[in-house]
Amino acid sequence: MADQTTVLADVRRGMIPAHVYNDREIFELEKERVFSRAWVFVGHESEIAQPGDYVVRRVLEDSFILTRDEQGEVRAHFNMCLHRGMQVCRAEVGNASHFRCPYHGWSYRNDGRIVGLPFHKDAYGGEAGFQRKGQRLLPAPSLATYNGMIFLSMDPDAPPLEEFLGDFRFYLDYYTKQSASGIELRGPQRWRVKANWKIGAENFAGDMYHTPQTHTSVVEIGLFREPKAEKRKDGATYWAGAGGGTTYKLPDGDLDERLRYVGYPQEMVDRMKEQFTDDQLKVIGDDGFMISAASIYPNLSFVHNWPRVGESDDVLPFISIRQWQPISEDETEVLSWFAVDAEAPEEFKALSYKAYLMCFGSTGMFEQDDVENWVSLTNTAAGSMARRLLLNSRMGILEDDEPVVPPLGPDAFHGPGEARTGYSEHNQRALLNRWADDLEKPPVQAATLTVGGPGAGAQDAAGRTSPSANDAELPGGAVAQA
Amino acid sequence: MSTDLPQAPPSAAVTAITDPHPVPAGNPTGDDAQTLSEQSVLGRHASRVQRVGASLPFDDPRHLQAHHWLVDEAWLLDAQAYEDWLELITEDVHYLMPVRVTTALGAGYDTARGMAHFDEDKYSLSRRVARFLTEHAWTEDPPSRLRHHLSNVRTFATDDADHLVVESATLLFRNRGDVREGSFISAGREDLLRLVDGHWKLARRVILVDDSVMRMQNLAIFL
Repeated sequence: MADQTTVLADVRRGMIPAHVYNDREIFELEKERVFSRAWVFVGHESEIAQPGDYVVRRVLEDSFILTRDEQGEVRAHFNMCLHRGMQVCRAEVGNASHFRCPYHGWSYRNDGRIVGLPFHKDAYGGEAGFQRKGQRLLPAPSLATYNGMIFLSMDPDAPPLEEFLGDFRFYLDYYTKQSASGIELRGPQRWRVKANWKIGAENFAGDMYHTPQTHTSVVEIGLFREPKAEKRKDGATYWAGAGGGTTYKLPDGDLDERLRYVGYPQEMVDRMKEQFTDDQLKVIGDDGFMISAASIYPNLSFVHNWPRVGESDDVLPFISIRQWQPISEDETEVLSWFAVDAEAPEEFKALSYKAYLMCFGSTGMFEQDDVENWVSLTNTAAGSMARRLLLNSRMGILEDDEPVVPPLGPDAFHGPGEARTGYSEHNQRALLNRWADDLEKPPVQAATLTVGGPGAGAQDAAGRTSPSANDAELPGGAVAQA
Repeated sequence: MSTDLPQAPPSAAVTAITDPHPVPAGNPTGDDAQTLSEQSVLGRHASRVQRVGASLPFDDPRHLQAHHWLVDEAWLLDAQAYEDWLELITEDVHYLMPVRVTTALGAGYDTARGMAHFDEDKYSLSRRVARFLTEHAWTEDPPSRLRHHLSNVRTFATDDADHLVVESATLLFRNRGDVREGSFISAGREDLLRLVDGHWKLARRVILVDDSVMRMQNLAIFL
């Protein structure tokens, strides 16, 4: 594999070798060093609300059954039968107390424990030949939740999720905790685009600069009143912990007026005032900034916008959570969910969903033009000329690396991290710097596991990620409540 | 002659669109919902007129009119003549394309709960059309080459002489640029056509796409 030292050094000074958006060797490194350790979003607890509910989600090529067991515990089982490696669950959503492998009929409870092994005595000589007791589907190496959002890491020694997210949690709450009940997640719509996964993550992290150009049409048709050029640069971008995002500057008004301006009914405003911290409320009420797009490294993004959804001038806010799931260096599967506060009035939920469909997702009028650009970019990045071109990603800093605009002081922006108004690529650089850090680190050494091997059952040398049935011996088996 | 032909019973896949449908738990529209249009989040306003009986003979004038309507519509959609297309649509239209999901055979549902690709009324369709008419809808500039291949058309009477239910299969081929591979969408459709001032108009459409994961970069198209 080629030495990427120069590539990473260029990225760190804000000069992006264009080929990183379509390069097989880079993609292999990303698989080995980014997605082998990062916390990756796989779903929300509301998608598996009842015991037995499951969805099947992937991290790269690895399929996991995300399920709520009969005790109400959220679990992620590697979707491979311990016997011959068949995919155990071939539906993508459903409710089941057990999963039975269609190949030879091994079956597992929804907590992962094996319960059925046909002809155990005849074929294996019973427990003496194969210890059925203690066997279970392989749990995800690490699993944790924040505000009901379920994340999985392929690294059994991943730092705690809260530590990984860091101060971005402050902003994540705006999207996922508008009331004590949190969000309901619906979807996802899934579709594949011939674009590199990093482009969407960078765009949502901080690209306010594209809005006036790319999304001209949605302003022209009266769908969205905000993204005029002069408006967008008055917003702030922030980076905190594992992520960063963009905001819009709201018109003058107090907290209630500003939340109603984007379309929240007073009862939802009241719940936010109970739920959010003083500083979270001050970002809106005192500082006048409303969250819009955001990304958590590596590949999870958010958007919060407030379009018109009917003939009246009223606007309705919506939230979408989306994942840029890497398929290859030039293909990404987009998973786009609609999120809404669980306590919101039903009428609000319906209109917010309508706002989502009109703006984002597979049919969304914002998203349509974004994807067109990203596909073109990826296609153009494949050739040899792209290897000669360093894209300038230094917007917002001068030649001596001093910022064009100083960060906002604590009185002007009450959120954590570093925030500033105006167009810049600080956040895109922050995202790619983390990426460069990961690409530089040696890969995670994963332990191998033996199923029913002589003596040990299914244990690795360190006893980690063991498919033992005993929860106490199962780090990562049950959800750690972060 | 065709009137003597035996009528094929509706297949399971086709009846799934309109016939009573198990309502998944968590369905936001309530317990009474039966059809996909009723189960959808935004279909409350939609007409509930349903088919009656077996499909009409192929030489029945109602079938000929419905088939003619669909062929004319396909040519409008290929040409992206979307303003003309909107003229063919009633004010109370419900235009629905559920998200298909892979579920176990006995699950009783194969569409996502509370989520669709399209769940549209006349207003939202008109905004989509208006956007294509701006000079800044980049995803269709340069425009795609589109071909809606239409087949398997059959028509059903309803209790109301001014309404017909028409089913069809559509295969959309979309190609962009010069060397990019084209992409396909295969779908079954069930339409409710209504006679308005002597012209058939689309009052309800349910599109059952055959992909769970769409293989098209966006749905800046209509089916």
